[in-house]
Amino acid sequence: MYILGVGCYYHDSSAALLKDGIIVAAVQEERFTRKKHDTSFPINSINYCLKSQKITINNIDYIGFYEKPFLKFERVLSQHLHIFPLSFKTFLSSMPSWINEKLRIIRKIRKELKYKKDIFFVEHHLGHAAGSFFISPFKKAAILTIDGVGEWTTTAYGIGENNNINLIKEIKFPSSIGLLYSTITAYLGFSVNNSEYKVMGLSPYGDMNKDTNPYYKKLKKVIDIKEDGSFRMDMNYFIYHYADRMPSKILCKLLNGPIRRPDEEITKRHKDIAAALQLITEEIITKILNYLYKVTKCNNLILAGGVALNSVYNGRILRNTKFKRIWIQPDPGDGGTSIGVASYIYHSILGKKRNFVLKDAYLGPEYPSKEIKDFLYKNKIKYTILKNDKELLKKTAKLIYENNVVGWFQGRMEWGPRALGSRSILSNPCNPKMKEILNLKVKHREKFRPFAPVVCEDDALRYFDCDTPIPESTDFMLMVYPIKKKWHNKIPAVTHVDGSGRLQTIRKYQNQLYYNLIKEFGKLSGIPILINTSFNIRGEPIVCNPHDAYKCMMGTGIDYLVIDKFLIKRDDNPNHMWDSEKYAKD
Amino acid sequence: MKKLKQFFNEFKEGMKDFGSGISMIVNSILLIIVYLIGVGITSLIAKIFNKRFLQTKFSRKETYWEDLNLKKKNKEDYYKQF
Repeated sequence: MYILGVGCYYHDSSAALLKDGIIVAAVQEERFTRKKHDTSFPINSINYCLKSQKITINNIDYIGFYEKPFLKFERVLSQHLHIFPLSFKTFLSSMPSWINEKLRIIRKIRKELKYKKDIFFVEHHLGHAAGSFFISPFKKAAILTIDGVGEWTTTAYGIGENNNINLIKEIKFPSSIGLLYSTITAYLGFSVNNSEYKVMGLSPYGDMNKDTNPYYKKLKKVIDIKEDGSFRMDMNYFIYHYADRMPSKILCKLLNGPIRRPDEEITKRHKDIAAALQLITEEIITKILNYLYKVTKCNNLILAGGVALNSVYNGRILRNTKFKRIWIQPDPGDGGTSIGVASYIYHSILGKKRNFVLKDAYLGPEYPSKEIKDFLYKNKIKYTILKNDKELLKKTAKLIYENNVVGWFQGRMEWGPRALGSRSILSNPCNPKMKEILNLKVKHREKFRPFAPVVCEDDALRYFDCDTPIPESTDFMLMVYPIKKKWHNKIPAVTHVDGSGRLQTIRKYQNQLYYNLIKEFGKLSGIPILINTSFNIRGEPIVCNPHDAYKCMMGTGIDYLVIDKFLIKRDDNPNHMWDSEKYAKD
Repeated sequence: MKKLKQFFNEFKEGMKDFGSGISMIVNSILLIIVYLIGVGITSLIAKIFNKRFLQTKFSRKETYWEDLNLKKKNKEDYYKQF
């Protein structure tokens, strides 16, 4: 039995395919269209899912959509009714897409895919919950979903047991932790639904002490937090419920200044605001989790929704609460709901037994050697063939050790927003200048942003102060942990200002080549850790196919590309026709 | 013959653009009417009867959690978009 899950029209469109309860393919549409966080109908993702299993749409038994569109439309209309006439502009700009696309999703699916069988609609937060719980190792777990907004719900908690999920309570729009985080992201001059992680990275530079950070007390005025973690926001400070901007003038006054322009310098005030936001976010979630534990008495926790990408807090959950185990899927945000809706149909609606645990995130497209060779030949690209894995590992590890920046393109693409060793840029974390080199050559990031380390799971506890046993979500780069003090100076390029690292752990069975590469690098450097950053140009999605990868290398300062068994040196090839840097933006 | 074909293609494209321009104007006019009359009047009536569509202020109650009770329903319910 095949079930296709589809999510689209808000941000991070995606499709996922289940075969007899096992996820066999999942991918975000942005990887094909090359538009970051693409919202469009995921036709390319669907086509990939079908092609990967060599099936057609006639083989699909059910299609699931990741929300109830009419419930969401009711919420949108309520916003307009509440705030009339201030919402006039947004009404005119948003209604055509509702009328032409969002409320006609059945017609779109049937017409675009020529699909004739059943289509199911599952509530958005149920999609989040199912997308994590049904593919987790837990038979029973407490569930918390937190995002910007679904239909009406912005935060929900409940319990999952075997084939059933019950979301018991909710916080409704407009009060939303996700939207509070996005509002401050916008206030700090970063892009909404994209750069929230930058604010998270900025926070340790600010004052993380509640008593001395002046903006902590100020920001607490905008949100009322009860002892059980429930909260409500004073909407005088926000305008996102009726405008296409988020902070109100009153919020700007509260925070002592106007919205930061993107090109403006980041000052101590901005850093303190980011810190205050992170403190408040952590305070709310801790209270909710303590209450959730009290209600459910369950040791296992499932976290889902976009806020579950707050890896700084994720790494503190098991220390701050009574939960013993935590599981977060590689894409806990809206992208992940396509897996959620498909799993929900199979396990809950159809009542089929659970038979799958997601062990790795390699669910995307892969390209056979022949196809890559044809691409290289057609484009007259000079390359070296590496005889076997041993040579590939030795050569690549040596290049990284010699401080080269290496593009690493191997096997199936990762599912979710993080590069996890299939479409990664790898470099030497022991070089104190590597952060600057990477920024200069490839990333052009803000200086405050850290780079992430990858370490083999069996070495992790030597270098990092992780929870034990190390949570599986660490494999998906979703947990930030302190780096042990004695290693701070040894791996400066991945040590953040507060001594932490957003590490990825890798287990041998997940990706043997990648695992062995890290070990091989360890033989040369004495430290089996690499810098792993996503293989993309700033402002573009992670590369998907050989063309994207080669274009990215030639348009930036990546020194080498290791693609399948082919080694390509940037300097050996003319780059005038591959100037991708000019497209770089936020 | 080639030129004639090109002329008809361009004519067709032009008519398409003209059509979408007209539909944009008509749609905007209709949406303005719907907003002012539909949304506006409903909003005024709601305000008279003190109906709140969104909770935008703090409250003194003990908790902001609301009942959701979202669990497995009949299969038929999942065909619905609401």
